[in-house]
Amino acid sequence: MAHATSIQYEPVAEIGGGAYGTVYKARDTESGQFVALKSVRVQTDQNGLPISTVREVALLKRMEQFDHPNVVRLMDVCATTRSDQETKVTLVFEHVDQDLKTYLEKTPSPGLSPERIKDLMRQLLCGLAFLHSNRVMHRDLKPENILVTSQGQVKLADFGLAKIHSCHMALTPVVVTLWYRPPEVLLQSSYATPVDIWSTGCIFAEMFRRKPLFCGESEVDQLGKIFEVIGLPPEEEWPTDVTLSRTNFPPLMPRPIADFVPEINEQGAQLLMKMLTFDPLKRISALNALEHSYFQDEETLTQKKS
Amino acid sequence: MARTGFCDSKPLLDLHKKVDERRAPLRTWANACGPIDRRQPIADESRMATGKVEPEHRWERRLSMQTSEGIIMGFHEDSRTHTADGCVDEPVLLYPHGLQGLHSLQALVPSLLRHEVEMALEKLNLIWDRTFAWDMFLDMMRTQTWNSLPNTDLPRHFTDATRAVLVDWLIQVHEMMHFQEETLYLAIHLLNRSLRKIQVTTANLQLLGMVCLFLAAKKEECLLPEVSGLCYLMDHTYTKHQLLRMERKVLCGLKFDLSFTSPLHFLLLVASVAHCSAKVVWMARYLLELSLLEGQCVVFQPVQLAGAALCLSRQVLQEPPTPEGEAAWCLAYSIHVGSETVLLRIMQILASAAARAHSRETCATFIKFSGLETMHVSGHPGLKNASSLLGICT
Ligand SMILES: Nc1ncnc2c1ncn2[C@@H]1O[C@H](COP(=O)(O)OP(=O)(O)O)[C@@H](O)[C@H]1O
Ligand SMILES: [Mg+2]
Repeated sequence: MAHATSIQYEPVAEIGGGAYGTVYKARDTESGQFVALKSVRVQTDQNGLPISTVREVALLKRMEQFDHPNVVRLMDVCATTRSDQETKVTLVFEHVDQDLKTYLEKTPSPGLSPERIKDLMRQLLCGLAFLHSNRVMHRDLKPENILVTSQGQVKLADFGLAKIHSCHMALTPVVVTLWYRPPEVLLQSSYATPVDIWSTGCIFAEMFRRKPLFCGESEVDQLGKIFEVIGLPPEEEWPTDVTLSRTNFPPLMPRPIADFVPEINEQGAQLLMKMLTFDPLKRISALNALEHSYFQDEETLTQKKS
Repeated sequence: MARTGFCDSKPLLDLHKKVDERRAPLRTWANACGPIDRRQPIADESRMATGKVEPEHRWERRLSMQTSEGIIMGFHEDSRTHTADGCVDEPVLLYPHGLQGLHSLQALVPSLLRHEVEMALEKLNLIWDRTFAWDMFLDMMRTQTWNSLPNTDLPRHFTDATRAVLVDWLIQVHEMMHFQEETLYLAIHLLNRSLRKIQVTTANLQLLGMVCLFLAAKKEECLLPEVSGLCYLMDHTYTKHQLLRMERKVLCGLKFDLSFTSPLHFLLLVASVAHCSAKVVWMARYLLELSLLEGQCVVFQPVQLAGAALCLSRQVLQEPPTPEGEAAWCLAYSIHVGSETVLLRIMQILASAAARAHSRETCATFIKFSGLETMHVSGHPGLKNASSLLGICT
């Protein structure tokens, strides 16, 4: 039974220290392939493996069965006992060359071409539409959690906060790294799949800017930064179940998005605004975003070229 | 704000009261399987693999199914490969389809069905976003085909009867914990798979069953029982440590795959599309739960089990038909997957199980569905000779 993780996988380098543990690049001695090992140490106190771990891993396994091109591949899961009180769960992923953050940093001036951005966005939305149609929300989309292969293939990763929706499941209030957090989460209102669309919008802008769009220092500051761009939403869109009042913010008018994302074309700007819509119910869905004219454009263009 | 912390534990305060109150088998489980301590052979890996589609093809398959009109047809193909187990795929008409010959109406079915399914999913609170409802349904249909096992073989020294005693005991523990119904179905599914995947001594079967229930609860429930409470329920036959070790063993054995599409979801979905009466639904739920006790049922897909439970329930209750009711039933019936032969076979198994239910040692389900809140369905006189309704004698 005991999976000899340490024997089959030979560590090569440390990739990144995350919230739950370090990610290592390792070589699979059986296949010679590179893999990424993400270990989670779980204190198995009174109740054995924590619910969160059981659910996360089950979710990843479920996603795995679909083999979607834009979701990172989970190749294996091993649990090893370290002591009576501690179990190490190791997730073995395919190794991907870099994350989107590094990819953007490595890109020389003047940055990514509009076609490259469009292609990355299409893949990102494909992955997201897949998750959403399978009742999964990612809840922590940001450049560090999006992997890009050397061939330019996008793969969504880090499902540490992902949730599979089921009718009687409560939602945890803290999700998504501050800068990519949508207003409904900042306001601690209820949320669902549109959370991921907001984050995707922020990332879309970042691909052009090569720096984040909204860099708030606190929840309120983050909201302030958002309203400086999209304007203060009308009273009737302000959620009723929140403590923070709309009157805490100055009455700002929306500003043209091109002021913040200069290189974006008109269709792109339109799509971006649909993603950065304050009201989650009015925000565009991943499936509809894929049908937006921003994407159709390119197809007709390439057809003309060839 | 919403409830937080799934790990909040609910101490098993009043458990002992209920334990002793009713149903002796709860504590006598350990005796039922005897003190023999022999090793079980492990089922070979290849058996489990046969139910799966090659990974490269899965994704393509999904796409083609979404785009084509013949959604239901696609699943027909799937189901044949999975339940080959000796049944001929020759449709036997149990019910007048009502839609046959009416080609124009038949053409309407996909969109009509889609609409009804979307509404039903919303009503059952299974979705949060209508845009994805149909995708979700297709996903349920597809993933459920992986949930049936390739055969009914059990490891040596472990008979269908012992399995039934274990399942019956789990049904009682489940009820006592006030868990969701989904949790029970998941637990038994995990048990069925674990039995084929990991080596377990006869003496540890009860522990395995409890761990499966515990893991199912971790996946589905908001409130979890204390491990010590679970040990108490097993008369401290096993220590906490043993339980946690078994948990790890099961998780590794199942490769952490706890996914399951519950037949109960299909039952409620189909019943909602078919506008079934409350009594028909309760009866079907009863019959569906009986299927958990039947070792033969593990080879059937959740949607088939749900469909058969509903069909049989309608037959037993014989409610006077209304034109709207029949039309809704015909529409819902098109969700049914697999051949009529398979359906009939499941109905026969369920009918004979229901006829014997009251006199069996494993009668937790019978008792559970005998009360007022479940409309006394398990005591319905029609169940005594349900088999004859199907035109067969057992
Ligand atoms: N499969 C992988 N291949 C290559 N690098 C990876 C892979 N998975 C994660 N990483 C790197 O490790 C970092 C942390 O991993 P992540 O899964 O996001 O863990 P955490 O939950 O700790 O943030 C990522 O930002 C990424 O740079
Ligand atoms: Mg991360």
